[in-house]
Amino acid sequence: MSLGLSIRRQNKGCETMPDIKIKNINKTYTDASGAPVEAIKDINIDIKDGEFVSIVGPSGCGKSTLLEIVAGLLEQTSGEVIVGDDTVKGTSRDIGVVFQDSALFPWKTVKKNILYGLELSKVPREEQEEKLKNYLELMNLTGFEDKYPSQLSGGMRQRAGIARTLIMDPKVTLMDEPFSAVDHLTRCTLQEELVRIHEKEKKTVLFITHDISEAVFLSDRVILLSPRPSVVQNEYKINVKHPRSRSDDYLVQITARIVADINRGAAAPENDYII
Amino acid sequence: MEGKTKRKKITIINILQIATLAALLLYMQIAVKTGAVSKVFLAAPTDIVREGIEIIADGTLIPHFLISVEEILVGYGLATAVGIGLGILWTIFPKTEEYANVFCAAVMAIPKVAILPLLILWFGIGFLSKVVLIFLFAVFTILYNTVTGAKQCKESYLKVAKVFEATNIETVFTVILPSALPSVFNGLRLAAATAFTGVVFSEMQSAKAGIGFLLSEAQSLLNSSRVFFLIILITVMSVVFVKAISLVEYAICHKWRRV
Ligand SMILES: Nc1ncnc2c1ncn2[C@@H]1O[C@H](COP(=O)(O)OP(=O)(O)O)[C@@H](O)[C@H]1O
Ligand SMILES: [Mg+2]
Repeated sequence: MSLGLSIRRQNKGCETMPDIKIKNINKTYTDASGAPVEAIKDINIDIKDGEFVSIVGPSGCGKSTLLEIVAGLLEQTSGEVIVGDDTVKGTSRDIGVVFQDSALFPWKTVKKNILYGLELSKVPREEQEEKLKNYLELMNLTGFEDKYPSQLSGGMRQRAGIARTLIMDPKVTLMDEPFSAVDHLTRCTLQEELVRIHEKEKKTVLFITHDISEAVFLSDRVILLSPRPSVVQNEYKINVKHPRSRSDDYLVQITARIVADINRGAAAPENDYII
Repeated sequence: MEGKTKRKKITIINILQIATLAALLLYMQIAVKTGAVSKVFLAAPTDIVREGIEIIADGTLIPHFLISVEEILVGYGLATAVGIGLGILWTIFPKTEEYANVFCAAVMAIPKVAILPLLILWFGIGFLSKVVLIFLFAVFTILYNTVTGAKQCKESYLKVAKVFEATNIETVFTVILPSALPSVFNGLRLAAATAFTGVVFSEMQSAKAGIGFLLSEAQSLLNSSRVFFLIILITVMSVVFVKAISLVEYAICHKWRRV
C-alpha cells in the first residue's frame, strides 16, 4: 500500500465530509487464559477536516486501542475506519502517530530521528535538510539536532517526536498521551505550542489524554469514553477561540462537568471491573 | 566507564588485597627456593619471570604465540560473521529460525571437547581443526545473543517503524539490530572467553604448535616455571581480547548511552 502516490481529492466544496470516520469499531482481545476481553464496543466518531478532537476516559478503557486501530497498527474485531477517502488497512503515509514516551531511537541523533521517515521514503537530501530546518525551528529544537535523545529533557524529546511525525506532512495526526511523561510546566508550554501549530497548519488531530483540562484547553471537541467495554459516553463541543486562557470560566465549567460525568460513569451499577 | 576525574581512593581493602598477593608471591619464592616445596609443583616468581624472558629471547615463544593468535582471529572472526549473519537472517525470515533452530540447538548441546577427535580426523592436527573448534565454541553464543537481543526490541520502536512504513528489512537494519547491539556485544564477550578455552584445549590435546602445545610440552618436561608463565600469558591474552571487544562496543555505542 506504500506503492504509488495516494491521490488526494480536491474536496473544496464538501465541508461535511469527515476526515476520519470511525464506524462501529469493536475490539475484543484474548487475555493470557484465553478469555475474551472486550476493550471497545461500537465506537462511532466522525472527525471533520482540520478539527482537533480529544478522547478522554479512565485508564485502561481502550483509548490506545482505538488510536492504534485508526493508525492501522492494530486490527479491529469489527467495524471500519476511513481516513480521507480510504479505508484504513494497515499504516499509511496519510496517518502520522506521536507516541506516549516519544519513542525516539536512542541510537540516532535528534536530526536522524526527525529525518527517519523522509530517509525511508528516499526524499532527496536537499529537501530533507530544508524541511529539517523548518521543523527544528517550529519545534524550538534548533541547535539540538546533533544531540542524542538521552542528552535531552523529556519535553525536548517529545518535541523531537512530534517533529518526526509532522515533517512527513501527514493528513491526520494521532497522538497518544504525548505529554503525560513531562512535568507540569513543560506540559503547559507544549500544549501552547501544539495549539500554535494547529492554528497554523489546520490539520486534523486526534489527541488522546487522561488529563481532562488538557483536552478541554486544546480541543474543538472532547469525546468521553466510558470504562471498559468502552462506548462513547458523552461529547462536548468547546466553542472557544484560541488563544484560550486556562482560567476561562467556560473552560473551567466544562472541565468540571466532564469530571462529574466520569465519576457518574465509574459509579454505574453494572461495574465491569470485576469479571 | 571510569572517568579520569574520578580518582579512586586507596582503601584499607586495597592495601589488604595487595598485601595478600605479595604474601602469596613471597611464599612461592621462599618455599621453592628453600626446597620446602618441590619445584615440580610450584615455581618461584623470579623463575617465572626469568623463564618468560628466556623463551621470548630465544625465539621459542613467538611462533607459537602467533599461531594461536591466528587460529583465534580466524575462528572467532568466522564465528562472529556467521553468528551475526545467521541471527540477522533468522530475524528477517522467522521461518528460517523455525527450520534451523533445532539443528543449531542440537549441535550446541554437544560438549565441544567431545567432538575434537572427530575434527582431528577430518581436518588434521593442524590449523584447520583448531579454527573449526574455536568456531564451534563461539558461534552459538554469538548467534543466540543476537537473536535474543533482536527479540527484546521495544514494542514502541517497532510501532514507529511500522508507522513510517519501513519494510521488514529496513526495520531489521534501522531498528532491531541497533537495539540488539548490547546483547550482541555480550555474546561477543562471552564467546571470546570460550574461544580461548577452545584453542588452548585443542592445542594441548593434539598439535604441533601453539601456546597450548607449548604448555603441555612444558608440563611433560616438568618445567613448572614455564607452565606458570604460559598460564599467566594465556590469561592476559584472554583479558586483553575481551577488553578490546568492550572498547569496540564503547566506540560504537558510547555517544548515545546515558553516562
Ligand atoms: N494485547 C492485549 N491483550 C489483552 N488485553 C489487552 C491488550 N492490550 C490491551 N488490553 C486491554 O484492553 C484494555 C484497553 O487498553 P488500552 O487501549 O491500552 O487502554 P488505555 O489506553 O485507555 O489506557 C485494557 O483493559 C487492557 O488491559
Ligand atoms: Mg493508553
